[in-house]
Amino acid sequence: MLPRFICSTGKNGLSILKNNSTFAQAVQQKSEVSEDNLPKRKNPLEHPDYFQVHNLFTVKDLFDARVHFGHKEGSLNEFMTPYLYGSRLGHLIFDLDVTAEHLRKALNFTAHIAYRGGIICFFNRNALNAHLVEKTAQECGEYAHTRFWRGGIFTNANHQFGAITRLPDLCIFLNTQNNILNQHTAVRDSAKMLIPTVGIVDSNCNPNLITYPVPGNDDTPSAIELYCKLFKAAILRGKEERMKLLQESE
Amino acid sequence: MSNVIKFSFKHIIPLSRCSYVRTKSTCLLNIKGYSSKAATTDSDVFDNFTDWETLSKTKKISKAMRAYLERAKEHDEFMKKQQFEFSIGKRHLANMMGEDPETFTQKDVDRAIEYLFPSGIYDPAARPLMKPPEEVFPARKAAEFDEAGRPHHFLFYTGKPNFFKLLYDAAENIQFLYKFEDKVIRKKETPYPNQNLDLSNTVWFTKDQLEQHLVEKLTDLEYENFKLVMERLISLPYSYQFKDFIEKFRKTLTSQKFALEIPKPNFDEDGRAYVTTYECLRKKARGDVTIRSPGTGKIIINGKDITYFEDTQSREQVIFPLIFTGMQNKVDVECNIEGGGPSGQSGAIRWGIAWGLRSFVDKNMLEAMQVAGLLTRDHRRRERKKPGQPGARKKPTWKRR
Repeated sequence: MLPRFICSTGKNGLSILKNNSTFAQAVQQKSEVSEDNLPKRKNPLEHPDYFQVHNLFTVKDLFDARVHFGHKEGSLNEFMTPYLYGSRLGHLIFDLDVTAEHLRKALNFTAHIAYRGGIICFFNRNALNAHLVEKTAQECGEYAHTRFWRGGIFTNANHQFGAITRLPDLCIFLNTQNNILNQHTAVRDSAKMLIPTVGIVDSNCNPNLITYPVPGNDDTPSAIELYCKLFKAAILRGKEERMKLLQESE
Repeated sequence: MSNVIKFSFKHIIPLSRCSYVRTKSTCLLNIKGYSSKAATTDSDVFDNFTDWETLSKTKKISKAMRAYLERAKEHDEFMKKQQFEFSIGKRHLANMMGEDPETFTQKDVDRAIEYLFPSGIYDPAARPLMKPPEEVFPARKAAEFDEAGRPHHFLFYTGKPNFFKLLYDAAENIQFLYKFEDKVIRKKETPYPNQNLDLSNTVWFTKDQLEQHLVEKLTDLEYENFKLVMERLISLPYSYQFKDFIEKFRKTLTSQKFALEIPKPNFDEDGRAYVTTYECLRKKARGDVTIRSPGTGKIIINGKDITYFEDTQSREQVIFPLIFTGMQNKVDVECNIEGGGPSGQSGAIRWGIAWGLRSFVDKNMLEAMQVAGLLTRDHRRRERKKPGQPGARKKPTWKRR
């Protein structure tokens, strides 16, 4: 498992990214900086966006994939209020600028984990999207769990798998709810086992136990498709860098 | 003496306490000193981290793999020891039986054990045995992860990777077929009518068979889900494209096939067709029945005619299949029968005649014989006597007191 404070340094590094991530000018500036940095092989953690995940998507992409649609007003979880833009015809609408910022943080963190050879596990309890999620996991060489969660897979792993087992280093929740009423038990269990989590949180979900919450629609297949595409790209970038590094060091 | 001991103890205890406290304090001091030295800048911490295990050149073995390797080594040593003991035991056994230890096979071992340790235990699994250790001790599961501890299977964390991979594959195939169907409709093509999936003589694996196939325990609900998704797959019009995938989880109905296999009659010197049915069993009786055609209705049982059986019921039993098929004057029957009583022997002959007559009757008659129960084996055996009562079911006369 990765020590906790990598996460915190990742956050600090991204503070620059946070301010100007949506502007095209900033993108250019940063790519120049990275070109200077790359030959020297500086510490990737010091770079604000080492894997260039900010250019994976634009706010327009998010809008087209209907990420901004939340649930009805009545089902709002009050911890989600800071991420909202407003409500239209009784439905809550996410502020996509905020979402983009959070999503970039999450993608950057995911790429870093992949770079360090961590195990990444995708979660989703929505049967409509389960196959897509499993497929994504397989394509990027990572793991998926979209089925009924037997208690103790993380907390009692050695007993569950019959041997000492390495647990995932990052859990990506494409949907943090188990059903409409309860949160997925793996969210709680990951927090217990100090496994960092990335989660798409809809307006009716509780983001408190998620390390990198990304406010957005977690039901629509088009949105899930977009998330899967983005996380896959980030993981593959991380792995590509890792392969380069391993080849260089040999 | 006791005084002396007490005295010494008194001295020892405070001394030891002192030393204990002292060591503790030095420890504390050490920790302090260490921590002050260890307080480093942030950059040092980063350097330490960029150089950590998975990125370093020398590959470290994960905790999970180390544990597995240890277990595997232990198991290997255990098996080696068992193997050695087995070979020694086999040599001893061969010497005991007065045979050559070099050419003593497993078959000889089984025979020797049966001879040396005669057992009346009914269940064969409970009888004494001597088998090679690979057969006695179950094979261990191979490691499901590599040196870094990464599992091989992408659904490993579900706990039943093989089963969920099966569901995943089925869903993948279904989606492919949906797309294919759309494409066909869009191009306005007509499907080939002769390419169909014929599943009439196969059935889905039972839960046990599926469990054995996947090497995973399943719940009833999971088995239901399996059947549901596979039924959905075969209901699609172009499912013949995944014939191989579907047939992997279906089992052929062998019993029907077996009934259709009717032996062709042989011919003897006189040019008469004959069929011999061996292993005609009923109760304790066993024998063989030969039917010759054409014949005159002669019946020979152990060298005698039908009067071999004294009671009419047994005689009726023997000639019933002949009368039923109307062959009583067209074939000759010859049987050898031993064991059991008249009812068992006559039942065995009846089944043997019926079974042999299949070669000489037409299809409709065959079905009629099937319906009449002539081709069904009667597997009932004598029920054992129970202790505390006079028979299998019979109880002693009940008295109030």
